Amino acid sequence: MSAHMTEDQTLLQDAAERYLRDSYDFNQRRERIAGGVYSDPGQWQAFAEMGWLALPVLEEFGGLGMGTREMAILAELCGQFLVTEPLIDALAATHAIIGVSQQQESVLPRVAEGELIPVAAIDEADAASRLSPGTTLTQTDAGWHLSGAKHWISAGASATHLAVLAQGAEGLAWVLVPTAADGVECDTFPTHDGRGGMNCRFDLVLEADHILLQGQPASDALEAYRALAMTLSSAETLGATQAALDTTVDYTKQRVQFGQPLASFQALQHRMSNMLIQTELTRSLIYAACNASDSGHDNAARFARAAKVKATTVGRKVSQEAIQLHGGIATTDEYIVGHFFKRITALESWVCSKGEALKEFMALSPS
Amino acid sequence: MFSLAEHRTERTRTVNASNPIPTDYDTFRASIREFLKVALTPELIRAGERTTSVFSDFEAGRQWQSILHAKGWGAPEWPMEHGGTGWDIQQRYIFLEECKLANAPNPVMMGIQMLGPMLMHFGTEAQKTQFLPGIISGDDVWCQGYSEPGSGSDLASLKTTADRDGEEYVVNGTKIWTSMAHHSNWIFCLVRTDKNVKPQAGISFLLIDMATPGITVAPFPSLDGEVEQCQVFFENVRVPVANLLGEENQGWTVAKYLLEFERGGQHFTIELKKQLGKLQRAMSNPNSRAIDDPTYAYRVAETEIDVMALEQTELRIKGSLSAGDNPGALSSLVKVSGTELGQRCAELLIEAAGQSAMPWQSDVLAPDYTGDTAAPAECVTTMAEYINSRATTIYGGTAEIQRGIIAKHVLGL
Repeated sequence: MSAHMTEDQTLLQDAAERYLRDSYDFNQRRERIAGGVYSDPGQWQAFAEMGWLALPVLEEFGGLGMGTREMAILAELCGQFLVTEPLIDALAATHAIIGVSQQQESVLPRVAEGELIPVAAIDEADAASRLSPGTTLTQTDAGWHLSGAKHWISAGASATHLAVLAQGAEGLAWVLVPTAADGVECDTFPTHDGRGGMNCRFDLVLEADHILLQGQPASDALEAYRALAMTLSSAETLGATQAALDTTVDYTKQRVQFGQPLASFQALQHRMSNMLIQTELTRSLIYAACNASDSGHDNAARFARAAKVKATTVGRKVSQEAIQLHGGIATTDEYIVGHFFKRITALESWVCSKGEALKEFMALSPS
Repeated sequence: MFSLAEHRTERTRTVNASNPIPTDYDTFRASIREFLKVALTPELIRAGERTTSVFSDFEAGRQWQSILHAKGWGAPEWPMEHGGTGWDIQQRYIFLEECKLANAPNPVMMGIQMLGPMLMHFGTEAQKTQFLPGIISGDDVWCQGYSEPGSGSDLASLKTTADRDGEEYVVNGTKIWTSMAHHSNWIFCLVRTDKNVKPQAGISFLLIDMATPGITVAPFPSLDGEVEQCQVFFENVRVPVANLLGEENQGWTVAKYLLEFERGGQHFTIELKKQLGKLQRAMSNPNSRAIDDPTYAYRVAETEIDVMALEQTELRIKGSLSAGDNPGALSSLVKVSGTELGQRCAELLIEAAGQSAMPWQSDVLAPDYTGDTAAPAECVTTMAEYINSRATTIYGGTAEIQRGIIAKHVLGL
């Protein structure tokens, strides 16, 4: 079924898929993660050379100036190939936060080249404080004092810089902090989706040029980041969901029980049909959310929430069904389908939960 | 290594997400609205509002078809040479949407939607000349004789026979679920002309005048108390061989041709968005059980998101139809989702209405009824719509048949 892709989008998708198919082997990935390497610097450099990191960077800063739809193409492939490098994380932070800041000129080219890997740090230990952070930014005689802690930074261990959401004197502020800076203490931990998660404490004084945004522009960037991240996480979920379905269809065609392939049983056929129906419906909504965002449509924020709700619901259902229809083999670490399930589960709560997205959807009236 | 930068060409934006209609369609929409404002009488609008299934009040639907025909809009989907409008796919969608929003009644569409395309593809010139004008004007009312008491989902097992006798077929057997047969003067039927081959290969497609001796129509009420369905009996009914559509024993191919193209043209979201409007109103109606119920509001919001997803899927299919693709099995996806979502809306509406949906008052559905209603105005049709929604996943290929089609043709199982 047509997905209304432009020629450039088709080129991007074909090239990216070819690369990941050839160079992102599942078994190598498994061994790498088992060795404690959550992000492969060689892969990141390859992503940079292929222009992926430059997708959301404006052309005057050496980027490709592309939009949500193109980023979603990569996000979907990240889901399909179980990419553990923080690609959607970096794309969202680059486009929505750094790309609208005063530092774009100096920072964006470094992001595009793969040297600076930015990830947003929003969550704190106290869930209630996520969008009104306890982390503070205060102006002192010595400079800007950042104080507080950020938690559950997905793939934070792979980042070189954090875009930290803090409370400043004039409202919210985004600060770009190198993870290696003095006064930043990070604890990393492996996560169930093969990434390196991170918690950080901050007690340091920064030069003014580390402040990306303050006040209303910072709040606007938070909304833009969340909407984009919801859309990209939905797209990555979609890629993993489709892959889980494809794996299940292939497996049930080969697995013989009671003298016939599992795929010949109607009870299973109809469940797989449901998986396909829901996956395709989700795909339509996510692409619409991308197009709404890229065309600056009034309902773009609402579409992002709708995509997150639908992708989360369907991703969970389809990946659970994928495990059930496989049977015991799907519960082993060496078989791929359980890894789609784990990544989908991790994405469910990234940026926001389904329930939070639904509440926000309801609060945004259609225009 | 491939570099995207080297391959850049001028980018074109894809269609706008929730409003895919470019501005030049606005004038078209306005002209449709203008026409509807004048052409729809209060009785016709009431017939539209009180429609509780795919069928509106029969006479109102017939009157509306003749008005549309006089305007030249009797069959917008048809080719120009047979009376179509020449509208593109987007204009046809706008037309349907505006008719639905204005509460126009539904004419009986078996002739226009189903038989018409088959006649144009398989019919002889004589058959086209004989039948197409009466279909588009609404002067002839056609019903569909496919299902039988013993042949539902397994349609190819049908047993009604047509035996050749000179220049006539002699038809014996019975058809059921023949919607609107009691109002129809013609029926198109699948009949068995060869019992000695595999079931699909022995079926022919016959056009039968309902006035032919030997035909008996037995209407029966549905669960909502209304009569739309009939059983039709054939006893030595003599049908001219000239009324065979396609070749003898080619009937299955004729019927399948329609199924493939028909489902892709379905627009469930037009009706679903109307139902979402009712759900929104229920949540702000102080007499509704949905008022101040956050659990209800969440369910409505999730339903709305599912309708958005279906709408975007219909747009994707429409896009591939414009590009000349056959939607094929993907129309099964839309049929399953559209009907099941409609059922969900109907369930939510009945929950909001509570006991106020219980009064059964058949006369209230008549377009000329202006008396009191036992139920509150917004609940008059709620129960009948809920009851009738159960049939939507049964007719036109059950949800199970559709899932089977998806399993076979999309997943290759």
